[in-house]
Amino acid sequence: MNAQILLEFAINVLSMGSLYALISLGLVFVFGICKLVNYAYGEFITVSAYVLYFLGVFTGLPWLLVFLFGILAGVAVGFFSELVAFRPFRERSLDALLVTSFAVSVILQRLFQLGISPRSKAVPVPAFFNMNIQILGVITPLRNLLIIGTTVVLLTVLVLIMKYTTLGVAMRGASENFVTARLMGVPANLMISVAFIISGFLAGVVAIFWSARTGSVEPMMGGTPLLIGFIAVVIGGMHSLPGSVVGGYVYAFISNVLSLTLPSSLLSFRDAFMFAIVIAFLVLKPEGLLRGNYQEERVG
Amino acid sequence: MNLAKKLSNQQENIKQPAAKDISQYFDFSRKSSTVVILIAILVVIGYFIWWLNIPFIEDIFTAGTITLIMTLGFQLFMGNSGILNWSYVGYVGIGAFASAIFSMTPAVKTMQIPTMYPFLINLHLPFPVALLAGALVAMTVAAIIAWPLMRLSDAVGAITQFALLIVINVMLSQWSQVTNGPRTFTLGGKRLTTLWVALGVAVLVIIAVYYFKESSLGLKLRATRDDRYAARSSGINFVAVRYCAYVASAFIGGLAGGLYSHYILSITAASFYMSELFMILSMVVIGGSMSVSGAFFGTLLVTLLRQFLRQVELFLTRSGFEASGSTEIVVAVLMIIFLIWQADGITGGRELSWRSIKRRLPSGSKKRNKVLKNKKQEEKA
Amino acid sequence: MNNNTILQVSDLYVAYGSIQALHGVCMEVHKGELVSICGVNGAGKSTVLKAIAGVLKPRSGSIRFKGKEVAGSKPEQLHKMGMALVPEGRDIFPSLTVEENLRIGAFGRRLDKSYAADLEDLFSLFPILKERYHQAGGLLSGGEQQMLAIARGLISNPDLLMLDEPSLGLSPALVDQIFELIIELKSRNITILLVEQNAQRALGIADRAYLFSNGRIEYSGRPQELMDNVDITSVYLGGQNGGDV
Ligand SMILES: Nc1ncnc2c1ncn2[C@@H]1O[C@H](COP(=O)(O)OP(=O)(O)OP(=O)(O)O)[C@@H](O)[C@H]1O
Ligand SMILES: [Mg+2]
Repeated sequence: MNAQILLEFAINVLSMGSLYALISLGLVFVFGICKLVNYAYGEFITVSAYVLYFLGVFTGLPWLLVFLFGILAGVAVGFFSELVAFRPFRERSLDALLVTSFAVSVILQRLFQLGISPRSKAVPVPAFFNMNIQILGVITPLRNLLIIGTTVVLLTVLVLIMKYTTLGVAMRGASENFVTARLMGVPANLMISVAFIISGFLAGVVAIFWSARTGSVEPMMGGTPLLIGFIAVVIGGMHSLPGSVVGGYVYAFISNVLSLTLPSSLLSFRDAFMFAIVIAFLVLKPEGLLRGNYQEERVG
Repeated sequence: MNLAKKLSNQQENIKQPAAKDISQYFDFSRKSSTVVILIAILVVIGYFIWWLNIPFIEDIFTAGTITLIMTLGFQLFMGNSGILNWSYVGYVGIGAFASAIFSMTPAVKTMQIPTMYPFLINLHLPFPVALLAGALVAMTVAAIIAWPLMRLSDAVGAITQFALLIVINVMLSQWSQVTNGPRTFTLGGKRLTTLWVALGVAVLVIIAVYYFKESSLGLKLRATRDDRYAARSSGINFVAVRYCAYVASAFIGGLAGGLYSHYILSITAASFYMSELFMILSMVVIGGSMSVSGAFFGTLLVTLLRQFLRQVELFLTRSGFEASGSTEIVVAVLMIIFLIWQADGITGGRELSWRSIKRRLPSGSKKRNKVLKNKKQEEKA
Repeated sequence: MNNNTILQVSDLYVAYGSIQALHGVCMEVHKGELVSICGVNGAGKSTVLKAIAGVLKPRSGSIRFKGKEVAGSKPEQLHKMGMALVPEGRDIFPSLTVEENLRIGAFGRRLDKSYAADLEDLFSLFPILKERYHQAGGLLSGGEQQMLAIARGLISNPDLLMLDEPSLGLSPALVDQIFELIIELKSRNITILLVEQNAQRALGIADRAYLFSNGRIEYSGRPQELMDNVDITSVYLGGQNGGDV
């Protein structure tokens, strides 16, 4: 009985944590290279979710293709938004970049409202996603296990790329010291484009599982995953890819524990508690749980 | 040196002090003319609109003036410290709710917000005092939390302020005993923020924000913005000067919030979140974040633009096009364009002053040219 | 300019914001030469290297590398053309292993037999790097990091190698080692532009030298003449100590 509760808790934490890990990883890839906290990241996810919705509802494409196009949409929006909105600011201040990403986020949200609908749309989900299965007496929808599996595969592939390909090594170098990497012949534009492409790719994968869980897509849906990404990134460390993954799981853990332990009268304040923890983290440990080799500028 | 030249020199010498005297008399034209001009513009427009007596336009002006106070408070911190304060609208929200709670009569409160704590229900202050008290609450909250946050810069600082905004927003939207939770908070009674009230407060805030900038505190803060390392080595305490500005900015934000809630008369936590932050940010960026004049003209310009676009939107919607939200898109694109090509906004980060106007005026420039010519001729001679 | 000139800088102005750092610098480097730049702290030595390498955009002036105008080019383009800068303070990638650091240095190169051969060659110069091949760069000692930084610059087989204060912060024994290394590189006919605080030693091995002061070139010519001129030495080189050359 007790073991069952524990297992259920573990599955919840792992499946939520996997999703959160992918979200924060998508943020950190861009942050690592450009030092940009990308407020428009949530909208990358929304774009993918809309593509899933349109293809799922209006075409008879097989699921695998729908997912593929959803992910491609994330990649495309990542790539082109960098090209159009962020590249002109390359040499400018970080604040200008930050404000731009905020503006891009607003523009995309309003475009969804205008072009599609301000109301939420039901995203069709393959039936096997919500099929309940039983493991050791615990009943859970299959998608919870799928996200865990997907995350394991993706993380493995990413680790292999980052460790063993020249591009991956160069990306790690560039996120530690961009200028020196350029001095070694690593092209700045390529690095930044690749970072945004990976970020968009992850946003696409997240969109699949996020919309499967909520069952719908709406113009403002990107807000929540963005905030989750922020928290996870902060907990794990802004400058470390493994840290952001750890942060995702830690966030899922804390959030589940809070859900279980907070009295119901305080449950609606859960987000406030989460963010208070984030602030405390940032003040006490600005480098996160795992620190990368980048010294965050800190004054005072 | 011949006599004639000596004489003319003497004449010049005599003239010069006189000229100086006059300019000294107008010395405020150098330092304080900005304040005078901004206030004059605001009052003239306000008076004209009051005289027109068209409620629709009066409303736009009053709301715009409240927004002006918000942007001025935002500019106070951002313009001088160079740090974006994402949590600012949170303080506006705190001020809005707090002052409303203070000013409402117990009877109205029991009716509108039955869940409210009894001690809050019985609290009742006259409107001006409630306004101040609301601003003080916002300021106090800022004063309690801000100190450790002022050390953080760049990405970490941005995320912290952002997280703070979310904490405040969750509190405002969930604390049923204070803010009526996610439900609408209705003030009841009649609109207390009239055109003249908003205008009066705006005048005071323009003065306060401008003189803060010119004060030694503002100067120090700007030194930290321009070169933090140099400023630190010259003995400026970063955290302290930033802290003061942050708290002052929260006070003005709270004041604007109080005016807002007594103008609009029904609020929710969602009224003080991303889209308001975006609106304020767009005004300050387009106007020029580095100067008070920038916040002023940014507000003026963006308010006019938004009103115009809103009318276009309405027209389009009536004729069958779905256009709601296009206003934000235009403003956002405009903001990005400014960031790329004119990062210091329309004011270029400078203050509007008597001199800068004179320089622009054709007669002024002629005079200057003449003076220059005279000088050149003298040099030749 | 003859076709033996690999780098020619003329009338170069560089500024950091409102601070002018270089005021019309003219200099040139010929193939196979070892040219040394000396000057006190803040004279603009690092600035000129950064401008040549494309990290800083010049306000005005021209930089010709292998006959092409390159002022304003990106660092990665210049690297591709055959420039390598070993930056001041080494700037290795601390969390990357020695192998990975070298691999970034060879960015754009195929990791084939010739790479392996070059690597072996580098290991003969820096045996320590072979030992530490799989260790994170940040865990190396200062001297080892400097070796790594130089090796990382060499692995791309540059036509012009620029070293910015390679002996900075190293123990005397290690300084000796670095200078021996530079002599060895010179004997391999690698063109080197060397910035050094340790002017006496740098001048001892250089073919020609430039003396920087306040963003201008105060003197240029044979190192011997420079050293013979006591005035200059005492004023700009702080030459009382380390006069062992
Ligand atoms: N990032 C920067 N921002 C502003 N000024 C700078 C910057 N870097 C260098 N300077 C200034 O430019 C001038 C030249 O600096 P540079 O680093 O080229 O000197 P250097 O000759 O390399 O000195 P050192 O021997 O200490 O390395 C100095 O006055 C320095 O203060
Ligand atoms: Mg230097």
